[in-house]
Amino acid sequence: MSTPVTTKPAAAPATVKGGPGPAQRLTSYMPLIALAVLLAALTIADPEFLTQRSLTAASRTAAPLIVLAAGATLVVLCGGIDLSIAALASVSTVFLALWLPELGALATPAVILVAAAIGALQGVAHVLLRIPSFIVTLGGMSIFSAVALVVSDAGTVRVVDDSTIAWLDLYVGGYVPMSLTVAVIVVVLISVVLKVTPLHSWISATGYSESAARLAGTPVDLVKIGAFCVSGACAGLAAVMLVSRQFSGSPTMADNLLLPAVAAIVVGGTAITGGHGSVWRSLAGALVVTLLRVGLPIVGVPSAYEQILYGAIIVAAVALTLDRSKVLIIK
Amino acid sequence: MSWRDAGPPAALVVIFVVFAALSSQFRSIDNVQNIMDAAAVLAVVTCGITFVLMMGSIDLSAAGVMGASALTVSLLVANNRNDNDLGILAIGVAVLVGAGFGCVSGLALVFLKVPSFMATLGVSAVGLGVATLMFAGVQPNISDAMLKSWAIERFLGFSHLTWIAAACLVVGWLIQRYTRLGRYAFAIGGAEEVLTLSGVRVQPYKIAVFTLAGAFYGLGGVMVTSQLGAGLVQAGDGYDFSAITAAVVGGTLLTGGRGGVLHSAVGVLLVVVLTNGLVQVGVSPYWQGGVQGLIVVAAVAAAVIPQRRRNQVVK
Repeated sequence: MSTPVTTKPAAAPATVKGGPGPAQRLTSYMPLIALAVLLAALTIADPEFLTQRSLTAASRTAAPLIVLAAGATLVVLCGGIDLSIAALASVSTVFLALWLPELGALATPAVILVAAAIGALQGVAHVLLRIPSFIVTLGGMSIFSAVALVVSDAGTVRVVDDSTIAWLDLYVGGYVPMSLTVAVIVVVLISVVLKVTPLHSWISATGYSESAARLAGTPVDLVKIGAFCVSGACAGLAAVMLVSRQFSGSPTMADNLLLPAVAAIVVGGTAITGGHGSVWRSLAGALVVTLLRVGLPIVGVPSAYEQILYGAIIVAAVALTLDRSKVLIIK
Repeated sequence: MSWRDAGPPAALVVIFVVFAALSSQFRSIDNVQNIMDAAAVLAVVTCGITFVLMMGSIDLSAAGVMGASALTVSLLVANNRNDNDLGILAIGVAVLVGAGFGCVSGLALVFLKVPSFMATLGVSAVGLGVATLMFAGVQPNISDAMLKSWAIERFLGFSHLTWIAAACLVVGWLIQRYTRLGRYAFAIGGAEEVLTLSGVRVQPYKIAVFTLAGAFYGLGGVMVTSQLGAGLVQAGDGYDFSAITAAVVGGTLLTGGRGGVLHSAVGVLLVVVLTNGLVQVGVSPYWQGGVQGLIVVAAVAAAVIPQRRRNQVVK
């Protein structure tokens, strides 16, 4: 049986879209829009908010969060996750407080180096033992907490002489907190280093498609270890900022920064699936999270809602920024 | 039974014998009772998380869900904050609250396509927030006789909580072995694509598994409340990680499709015997979390060694 063959051309294959669709474009500006909306809403709720004094205070609280989020962003860009940043920062505050009397000015670089080394160690465990990054860092989280408890004997370690870290409490030009300046410098530094070296394409390739990146000769393992190392170093720097503000180190000091940091990364629009995103986005995300944190009491919402909000934000932001083309099966 | 399944029970026996040889305190009857009592809550939580892990997903929400259910039950039974006295009904409500949170995790996974570790991290935060709202600055101390007696009164040498945990393990095992839910949880972990291609709609089962897990965490929260005699926001602190450790050490693979409730029961005993034994031989209890962190990494690493060459991509 033969059917007349019509010479209708086959339906044009779905063409690859030239640019991002409207929805994608909207999500890529999401952090900036959220930032503007929040600022406007807070100013309406309390006209006092847009004064130099409260903005300075808000940006001081933002600094450690920005640093933590910026470091962990690199791990997320590689397609992994670092759940240990907060615990690592906590144990680093204890180390710093204990080392300041003996090492003085050298304590700061020492703590950052140790934190970087610990981060790199987690990266090595992830890469060599082939353990999923969230398990390595979840394990790391509880190990660091234990170390912090043992070293500090489960108490706060006071800093008597903080002259060597007090520079973080200064103000640039009288208004901009030094800690915020340092945080922004870190973000600039990371993004410039990524731009001028092949690192950016290596990280993106690892995040977008690890197998392809491997076949193309990308040093995937080293890139991942490097990302964890930077994430650790950032946790160490965040610890220095926290100690300079609180004049003490404590085994749980930074623990409540994990959720805000993860929220900052995903609200910024960095896809949890890897590849897509940047440290600038996390900077914007960290500012959004800080505004929410500072803003809730201004609007009169009890602080218990803060946690609920973080939870909702994380789920919503991940849902919006997820790269659905890549993961067919979500576990 | 393969050699793989024999590993964890053998390790349990070895560890028990080693600690018993090292410490006379450890091998006393009192201490064995302590171990079983300490294992009760962890066993219930691990039972729930096992189903999630069997699917190849992960659940970090136990701490938040347990906090919310602990506050729920302590405010509904006889307590010092209000005039409620719902008794056993309050426990049911608390378990339902847990199931509700689990259901939310499942819905976020299935409909929003949020990976489970992120969805449950979010749900955990929401649970802690809800618990803090209910806590409202004043600790609710419970005076309900039945709930209080769970932790104190003993039957055949073990506290009621231990027997409840044993009952939960039996129920969990029956669900895993004889219901469609249990079998599909295994199949989803083993080969989700194959299951989908065979025409099975996996989504409802995924939501159901997370709901079931949430119900177990809810009961866990109630049991902690019974132990503490008060509802605390931090009721579930650390249980999420301990439960993952116990399940993994017991032989449940994080990639899914292997393990089960009985494996997890052995894992729970391993974790509890190890922590108890270390304290008995004089190690600071602060190390407890660190030891769990080390063994979870070691256990996962040991489990992936056979597949090293196959799995080139690990996220």
